[in-house]
Amino acid sequence: MKNLYIMGTAGSGKTSVAVGLALKLRQEGYRVAYFKPVGSTSGIASHGDEDAMLMKQILQMEHPLETVVPYIAGPAYLSGYKHSCVSVKTIRQAYETVASGMDLVIIGGASFPHIMGCVGLDAVSLAIELQAVPLFTIKIENDYSLDMAIFFNSYLECKGISTLGNIFHNVPHSLMAKTEGIYRPILEERGYRILGIIPQNPEITSPTVKEYVEVLGGEILTGKENLDRVVEDVVIGAMTIESALGYLRRTANKAVITGGDRSEIALAALETSTSAIILTGGLYPNVKVIARADEKGTPVILVHYDTYTTIEKMSEVSRRIKPTDQQAIHLAVENIEKHCDWRDIIRALQ
Amino acid sequence: MAGLTSFFNPRSVAVIGASKSPGKIGNVIVKNIISSNYPGKIFPVNPKEKEIEGLACYPSIGAIPEPVELAVIAVPAALVLDIAGACGKSGVKNLVVITAGFKETGKKGLSLEHKLVETCRRYKMQMLGPNCVGFMDTHTPINASFAAGFPLKGEIAFISQSGAMVLSILDWSHSIGLGFSKFVSLGNKADLTESHFIENAADDPNTKVILCYIEDVENGPLFLDTARRASRKKPVIVLKSGTSQAGARAASSHTGALAGSDLAYEAAFRQCGVVRARSMPELFDLAVAFASQPVPRGERVAIITNSGGPGIVATDNVELKNLKMARFTRETVEELRKNLPAEANIYNPVDVLGDAKADRYRFALNKVMADRGVDSAVVLLCAGGVTEPVETARAMIEVSKTYPEKPLLAAYMGGKQIAEGARVLSAAQIPCFTFPEPAISSISGMVGYARIRDLPEDEEPPSYEDIDSKTVESVFNDVKKDKRLVLLGSEAARVIAAYGIPAATTILATQPEEAAELADRMGYPVVLKVASPKITHKTDIGGVKAGLKSYEEVRLGFIEIMEKMQRYMPRVAIYGIEVQKMMPKGTELIIGMTRDVQFGPLIAFGLGGIYVNLIKDVSFRLAHGLTVREIKKMLAETKAYTLLRGYRGEQPADIEAIVEATGRFAKLVTDFPEITEVDINPIFAYNRGVSAVDVKITIS
Repeated sequence: MKNLYIMGTAGSGKTSVAVGLALKLRQEGYRVAYFKPVGSTSGIASHGDEDAMLMKQILQMEHPLETVVPYIAGPAYLSGYKHSCVSVKTIRQAYETVASGMDLVIIGGASFPHIMGCVGLDAVSLAIELQAVPLFTIKIENDYSLDMAIFFNSYLECKGISTLGNIFHNVPHSLMAKTEGIYRPILEERGYRILGIIPQNPEITSPTVKEYVEVLGGEILTGKENLDRVVEDVVIGAMTIESALGYLRRTANKAVITGGDRSEIALAALETSTSAIILTGGLYPNVKVIARADEKGTPVILVHYDTYTTIEKMSEVSRRIKPTDQQAIHLAVENIEKHCDWRDIIRALQ
Repeated sequence: MAGLTSFFNPRSVAVIGASKSPGKIGNVIVKNIISSNYPGKIFPVNPKEKEIEGLACYPSIGAIPEPVELAVIAVPAALVLDIAGACGKSGVKNLVVITAGFKETGKKGLSLEHKLVETCRRYKMQMLGPNCVGFMDTHTPINASFAAGFPLKGEIAFISQSGAMVLSILDWSHSIGLGFSKFVSLGNKADLTESHFIENAADDPNTKVILCYIEDVENGPLFLDTARRASRKKPVIVLKSGTSQAGARAASSHTGALAGSDLAYEAAFRQCGVVRARSMPELFDLAVAFASQPVPRGERVAIITNSGGPGIVATDNVELKNLKMARFTRETVEELRKNLPAEANIYNPVDVLGDAKADRYRFALNKVMADRGVDSAVVLLCAGGVTEPVETARAMIEVSKTYPEKPLLAAYMGGKQIAEGARVLSAAQIPCFTFPEPAISSISGMVGYARIRDLPEDEEPPSYEDIDSKTVESVFNDVKKDKRLVLLGSEAARVIAAYGIPAATTILATQPEEAAELADRMGYPVVLKVASPKITHKTDIGGVKAGLKSYEEVRLGFIEIMEKMQRYMPRVAIYGIEVQKMMPKGTELIIGMTRDVQFGPLIAFGLGGIYVNLIKDVSFRLAHGLTVREIKKMLAETKAYTLLRGYRGEQPADIEAIVEATGRFAKLVTDFPEITEVDINPIFAYNRGVSAVDVKITIS
C-alpha cells in the first residue's frame, strides 16, 4: 500500500485527521504506523512533538519517540544547524524502521508544508522522497482559504505529485452551505478532489479552562474540579452593570476576563453560561463572589497580568488532542466515518 | 409558611448561649427580654451556668421541661447547626439566629448556612437571620435582640436588611419621640425574608405603616405578590439602596448576590403600590406622615405662611412633586379678604404676614381646611419677633381635630425660638419639619400611595387562545441543537408570529440567487439583512440594504453585504442574508424585554428606531401579573404616546393593537423562561394594526 502524507497549515486539523484515519484503517484490519519527519515543540511545557507522542500512544508503537519523530525544528533551527546532524538519510532510516512490517505509514506534516524548505526537508520534497501520497487539510475561514488550497494543489502538480485530495476541516456552520455550493464545485472544476467536509464542533475545537490555566499560570480560587470545561469564547467584562447581563447572555461557554474588584460583573457572569472567570491585575475578589462561583462550580482564576497581556497569552492556546481525551479521539474517528469518503481514501492508497 | 404570630408573640422564649457576663451578647439578650416586660416565660440555656439574671438556667434546650415557642441562638457559628437540630427535636418552631459567620464570610459559611436552612425545613421551623440583631415588638412586648434600649410604643413596623441601621434608628427615634410597633433585623435572610415580615405587618392590627430598608429582594415574585396585597391594606415604604453604578457594586459585594437592575425595582415598586423613599430622611419623614396623618383624598395642597419667600419655595415644590396648588372657592377667598389685613395674600399660598399671631393662623387655617377644594394643608412659620410658635401650634392642633380627614403638616423655620412649638406639634402627631420641602414630599408620597390604593381591584392578566407554543419550542430546539444562544432574525420573527404578534415575513437565504428568487415570490420592495448572531448593530457596518426593487438588485445586494462583512467582520460567522418583505413605514416603536435576576421579565416600551439609546423615551413594567390597565399606563408614560394619539393633525395609530401586541409579548416571555432578552425594534404602528420589522431574541 502507498503511504499517506497529511499536509496542511497550523490548526487545519492534520492531527485529528491522522488520528481518525489511523484508527479507521486499523479497524479495517490494516497495520498502521505513524511517522513525523519534522516535529516541533511549540506545545506548552512539553518535551517532544505532541503529535508523535499522541500517535505513538494511540497506535501502541514500540519504537522510541526519536524514531517516530527523528528531527525537531524550532523556529530558529538554522542557528544550531549543522550539515551533519540532519539529512534525508537520517529521516529515511527512521522511516524504514517505523514502516517495517506495516501495511502503510501515515506521515504527519509539520505545522506548515514549507517548514525546513531551506534544507530540502519541506513536506513536498519529503513526500517525494518517501513516496507518499499527499492529503491536504484546509481549515475553512473565508474565501482565501480556498485560494490557498488551489495554490498548494497546483504546486504539488507542478512538482509532479498526484494528490489524494483535500479535506475541509473545522468548517463553521455558517459556511457549510457555501462550502458545498461554491467551494466544492470550484475545486472539482479544476480537477481536485474533496474527500471530506468536516463541520466545526466547538466542544472539540475549543480549548478547556485547563489549557488556559497552563499558559496563564495564576491561582485557582475555586472550581478546580471543573477545569475540563470548554471555553468557546472569551468576553471582557468592562461594561456597566446595566449592560453587562445583556452582553454576557449572548455568549455561551465563555471565559469572562474582568478585574477582581468588579464583583458585579463576576456575579453577572455567574448568572449566565460561563466556563471560567479570569480575574486580572492580581486583585482578590470579595469572598462572596468566590462562594457564589463555588456554588455554581465555575472556576475562578486569579492572574497578575493586566487584561491586555492576559488576552495575548490566551490567544496562544489552541485545542490539541491528548491521549487521554477519549471524547476527542472518538470524534476524530467519527468525523472520518461520517464526513469523509474514507473508502475512497483506502481505495486510492491500494 | 405558618404565619408569624407565635414568632412575635411567643408564650415562652429560650436564649441559647445565654451568659452571665455583662457586655456579652448572650447576656444583653436575656436582660433585654426581661426589661422589655415580656409577659411569657424565659429560659436561659448554658451548660455552665445554674442561674442567669435571676432566672433558672438549663444545660440544653432538651432539658427545659416546658414547650418553647421561640429560641434565640447566640452561640459560636460552629455550634449553631447542632443547636438548631436540638431545637427542632424539642419542638421549637421559631428561631432567631444572632450568630454571624455564615454566607457573609465565604464558601464555608455559605455551606453552613445551607445546612442550617435544611435543618429548619426538616423540623418545619421558621428562622430569622443568621447574622442579625434580632427583633423587637412593643405590643407583645418583647425585645429579642442585642440592641441597646427598646423603642417607644408606636404604629410603625421597621424591617431592615442592615442591622446597624436598626441600632442607630432605634437610638435616634428616642431623641425625636418616634414610636414603633416592630423592629426586625433581617440578617442574611436565609429563611424568613422581607416578604414574610411585610405580609405579617400588613395583617398586624398594631401596625399602621410598614417601613423597609433593603439592599436586595430575596424572592422577586413572592415580594411582588406580598407587597401588592400589603399596600392595599396600609402603606409600604421602601428604601432600596444600590441604585447607582457604584452603589450597585457596593451592594453586590456586600450581599454576594447580583443586584437586579434598578429599573426592575422601580417597576416592581410602582406595580405593587410600594412608596419608594429615595433617602433615609425621606424614609422616616414618610413614616411619620403616614403614621400620624390621614391619607389625603387628592393632590390639592393649601399653604399658609407668615412670609413670602418660604411660601414660594413651598409652592415650587408642590409643582415639582406632581401636586397641585389648591384653588379656593369664592367664599373662602371672600372670608380671607374680609378678615385678613389688606396686604395679606388671600390666594394660595396664603400669606398671613410676619406679624401674624396664633389667632390669625387659626382663622386662616380654619377657612382653608373647610374649603372643599383643599385636600391637605401645610403651615409655614418663620421665627420672628411677634410670632407665637407654641400658641400657633396649639391652634393647629385644635383645627386639625375639626378636619380629621385632611392631613396637616408644618414647617417651623428657625432654631431655639421655635423649638418648643415644634415639640408641641410632634407630640400631637402633626409632623413638623425645619424646612418646607420634606413636608411637601411627604404629602406627595401620601398622594401617590392613595392613587394606587384607591384603584379598582387588579384585573387578571389577559389570556390569548390562539398562541402556538409548539412552533416556539421547535425553533428553540433547533437553535439549541445548533449550539447558539442568539436567534437569527428569521427564527425570531417566527417566534413572535407564533404568539400572534404580526411580523414582517423574513426568510434566510444562503446564495444570491436564492435570495433573489425569495424576493420574487414575496413581491418588491424587499430588505436584505445580514444574518449573524454576533452582529447586533447591522446597520452600522453596512449589513442592511432596504428598498430593493428587482431580482438583480437583490442578487447584487446580497453579494455587496457579504463583501462588507468579509471586510469589517472577517472572523464572525455569517449564516446568510435574510430577505424581508419591506413594510410601509409607520410610527417606529420598541417593545423589549430583559430578564431581571430578581423579578423576571422586565418589559420596555417606547419610541423605537436607531435613536432609542439617545432619546430614551422608554417606560418599564414587569411581566409578572401585567394587566391591560398597566400596559395602557406604560404606554401613556412615554412621549411616543402623544405621537400615537395623532400629533398635530397626523392620523392616530392603532393603540389597541399595540396594547395587544405588548400583552402577547408579555405572555411569550412569561411562558418561556429560557428567553433572556428580546428587542423588537422597530415595530411599526399603523392606523390599523402593527408589524414587527426587526426582532432579536437571546435564549439561555
